[in-house]
Amino acid sequence: MSATTTTTDPDAARRAPVPAPPRRRRPPRPGRILLVAVLAIAAGYFLLPVYWLVVAATKSTDRLYGSFGLWFDDPRLLSNLGDIFSYDDHVYLRWVLNSALYAGLGATLATLFSAAAGFALAKYRFRGREAVFKTVLAGVLLPQTALALPLYLMFSQISLVNTYWAVLLPSIASPFGVYLCRVYAESAVPDSLLEAARVDGAHETRIFFGLVLRIMSPALVTVFLFQFVGIWNNYFLPLVMLSDDRKYPVTLGLTTWKGAADRVPELTQYTIGGAFVSVIPLALAILVLQRYWRTGLTEGSVKE
Amino acid sequence: MTTTRTGSPTPAATGRRSPRPDRAAWGFLAPFLAVFLFTFVAPIGYAVYQSLLTVERHGPMGLGEPTLGFAGLDNYTLALQQTSFIESFGRVFLFGLVQIPVMLFLAVTLALLLEHVSGRWAGVLRATYFLPYGVPGVIATILWGFLYVPGVSPISDLLGGAAPDFLAYDNVLWSLANIVIWEFTGYNMLIVVAQLRSIPQELYEAATIDGAGPWQTALRIKLPLIRPALVLTCVFSIIGTMQLFAEPLIIKLQAPAVTGDYTPNLSAYNDGFANANVYLAATKSVILAVVACALSFAFLSLVTRKQRSER
Amino acid sequence: MPTRRDVLAWGAAVAAAPALAACAESPGAARRTEQAERRPGQKVNLVFWSWVPLQKAVALWNRTHPDIHVEVQIIPASTSGGYQKMHASLKAGTPPDLAQVEFYALPEFMLVNGLTELTAYGADKLEGAYVDWQWRQGVFGDGVYAIPQASGPMGYYYRQDLFERWDVDVPRTWDEFRQAAIKIRKRGRGARICTFPPASAMWFAAFPWQRGAHWIQADLETDTWVVDIDGKESLEVADFWDGLVRDDLVALMPDLQGGWYRAVQTGDLVSWPSAQWGDALLRGNAPGTKGKWRVTQLPQWEPGATASSNYGGSSTAILQGTRHPVEALQFAHWLNTDPGSIDLLIGAGYGWPAARIELEQTALGKPDPFFGGQVYNRVFQESDRNVDTSWQWAPTTTQSFSHIQDAFGKAIAQREPLVDALRDAQGRVVDDLKAKGLKARGA
Repeated sequence: MSATTTTTDPDAARRAPVPAPPRRRRPPRPGRILLVAVLAIAAGYFLLPVYWLVVAATKSTDRLYGSFGLWFDDPRLLSNLGDIFSYDDHVYLRWVLNSALYAGLGATLATLFSAAAGFALAKYRFRGREAVFKTVLAGVLLPQTALALPLYLMFSQISLVNTYWAVLLPSIASPFGVYLCRVYAESAVPDSLLEAARVDGAHETRIFFGLVLRIMSPALVTVFLFQFVGIWNNYFLPLVMLSDDRKYPVTLGLTTWKGAADRVPELTQYTIGGAFVSVIPLALAILVLQRYWRTGLTEGSVKE
Repeated sequence: MTTTRTGSPTPAATGRRSPRPDRAAWGFLAPFLAVFLFTFVAPIGYAVYQSLLTVERHGPMGLGEPTLGFAGLDNYTLALQQTSFIESFGRVFLFGLVQIPVMLFLAVTLALLLEHVSGRWAGVLRATYFLPYGVPGVIATILWGFLYVPGVSPISDLLGGAAPDFLAYDNVLWSLANIVIWEFTGYNMLIVVAQLRSIPQELYEAATIDGAGPWQTALRIKLPLIRPALVLTCVFSIIGTMQLFAEPLIIKLQAPAVTGDYTPNLSAYNDGFANANVYLAATKSVILAVVACALSFAFLSLVTRKQRSER
Repeated sequence: MPTRRDVLAWGAAVAAAPALAACAESPGAARRTEQAERRPGQKVNLVFWSWVPLQKAVALWNRTHPDIHVEVQIIPASTSGGYQKMHASLKAGTPPDLAQVEFYALPEFMLVNGLTELTAYGADKLEGAYVDWQWRQGVFGDGVYAIPQASGPMGYYYRQDLFERWDVDVPRTWDEFRQAAIKIRKRGRGARICTFPPASAMWFAAFPWQRGAHWIQADLETDTWVVDIDGKESLEVADFWDGLVRDDLVALMPDLQGGWYRAVQTGDLVSWPSAQWGDALLRGNAPGTKGKWRVTQLPQWEPGATASSNYGGSSTAILQGTRHPVEALQFAHWLNTDPGSIDLLIGAGYGWPAARIELEQTALGKPDPFFGGQVYNRVFQESDRNVDTSWQWAPTTTQSFSHIQDAFGKAIAQREPLVDALRDAQGRVVDDLKAKGLKARGA
């Protein structure tokens, strides 16, 4: 897989100049065997449900219950996929696109807003700064699902429920993103650079968009991914906010299918196949982007 | 988290000569703050307000049109008198006390072991462990559900009579814990890996020169250094545990042992939506938010005090 | 540590929040039903929330009624999300025009003022088209609040082939049911007569109902709800199932789930006391057992009796807040009485029609190859006539069900008697009613 090479390259680059070479290519010792065994068992554990999903996605509704779960039986992935995508006027495709919209747009805006706020909190001294930061921190510690219910009642008073905004709006405030960006900006954006830019007569907005954003990009990737996955995986908020199934994200859509499966048995298979398809893009994104994520977190959240 | 920065100087402390920095700062803050006030602060206020209200019944059999009255703290009394609601807190505490340490132990172990694997395999394994994080909790629960249900589960097929009933009354909490561990171990591992990366190589070299083996290096040098990462993951896990919702909601269909009040969040959801008592639901949301915040702060201050006393 | 100024700033933020949120509050539905003005020829759009796959019938309506378009939005079934959404939308003042509401849930929607009173729009004139007791499910006081769709008269589904192979007599009483369970346990190599699903309180309720119990009754003189979940008849029923559970004669898996379907397919579960709408579930989920099933009357508590029971039942409700009650009522009545619609709904497995029908004139009156050519609905037709129609539902039934389910789950896990579980639920149900501000007492 291409993902594996992308993840290893930077490590190699970073570690190459280190004089002490990692101990490799030694004859297997008991410790080594134990190490390999533990890592392999862990890999088996993490892959088991995914493997089951792959196998199950190829089965017919009938064989799903009637055959051994961990091996193929009359595989028919393509016809299954065709059924899933065409069911109920291509509603599944709508759900995937909705998820992409909620997560993509939501995470982009959240990242931008967090970057601006984090930068302001890190590099400006103004009245109320600490109060704002403390409030943001409290926001990090607040369980988001506890907010969903009152948020629903508020949104219903202003006719926002059952709209795209109902899911998007609460997704674009990321207190944790602000926190990360502030910590990162504090250490990574040099004051001297800002001073120099100001001396050159650059406007604050220009400095931010032209200079700061680029310097903060590792932290921004982290915030983006964090938020993207968070929104993509969210269930409670859309469950509460949306009623029109054409606005559902994948998570909500699939549970609806599962709930209706006793009346329409083939929906069980569609739920599984739909889950399979929905996992693929995110899995790929995660595999490709995890190295950026790593760097971002290193510099940001865990600064001593 | 605030406290992890106490050592670093405040860089903005130096005087700034730029024109109206205050206004620029508020300008940068404005978009975030606007959304934050609207979707975080306002709902909390609204929930507090609603928690003080109650419905009054009229008409034959009480089915006439209801009106709204001020309840004072009655809803809080009612919520705290519900044994099932109190039990739900006990349940998530128990869940967290077991699940969080197990998950973090696994995450740290895997992160440390991966240090001893050569580049290519390290990448493959890291990606494998991290993969479940990309699977939404709802879908993960549906998947594990299929692996749990007796008669359908290939695990019980393989184990035959020796297979436990994963969804039985006493087991289901730990089956849920397994789902959460599966989802988030890789994520936490990655945070630890990131922290390990930031440890200067010289420290290892020094340790090796002093004759420390891999075990000693791991225990004496690496573990203390990844503490900030562990604090972070711990706080997030506590918050995550408190808001446990989707997993029990989905597994409920297959596991009768999961009640409508299984977790505080589920309890509030059921009051608000299934039982149409939004006022009691708002009350429970407020209680949940307060408890979660208090726990996280308590944990942070505990860790900080320990850190300070060590210095 | 936060400084004093920080604390003040926090306080200000918190204090400001309720002011932001000071919107109009109403305890029930946020919007009242009103008929919107409609110009001649103006097209009306109605939104209909349901989890029953009735799209085909609605499509037929849309073809034949071009001026009133109905859009079905499929929502999660009943308490697994459907009612939650309805309550939320009522509260928000954004309800759909029509919704699928089960009989037992109608009083709950009454409690939040969530249903449109329909006599104002001429519903009282439609009564004659419906089976009387089903019609009365939507009648509260002098008002009509829902149009009945279907009920669930009960029968006994069994695998004729396996009963014959193991030489098991089809039970006519619950005593014989127990004898049959013993034989099947002995001869069936791991098979069981059926499952006792602890999480299906509504299914359980059907047996006390058959026995003559009344879990709830409205005492109109004192405006009090009288709860009798732990009455003599109910305890007898609980004790009966308890015996089957104790002697390992029934499986204990949840019904209508993956494991249950699998067991039905493989013949590990060989019979099922259930409602008429169960036919579609068997047909759809265990196609491999085609031709092997038969249906007969529910076993009796007294030999020679003909008592039946009802499991489930649904209405088409017109929610509070619609702008088109006239058109919604017109559609609801058409959906549930038009012969073309009824046949399509039967195909979707919606249950026993609420409309007065002649069995032979609908799809229900045909021999069915899945049931070996039996005209099995004749059984349900007779069953339907023998249901005790004086049974009522409380306005907190969802909560009552979950108390019973919680108590049953616990009792079975800890091997405690189901009878105690019912006694436990009784007190909780009275408390629930009181907590809602209603007057309630035990029987």
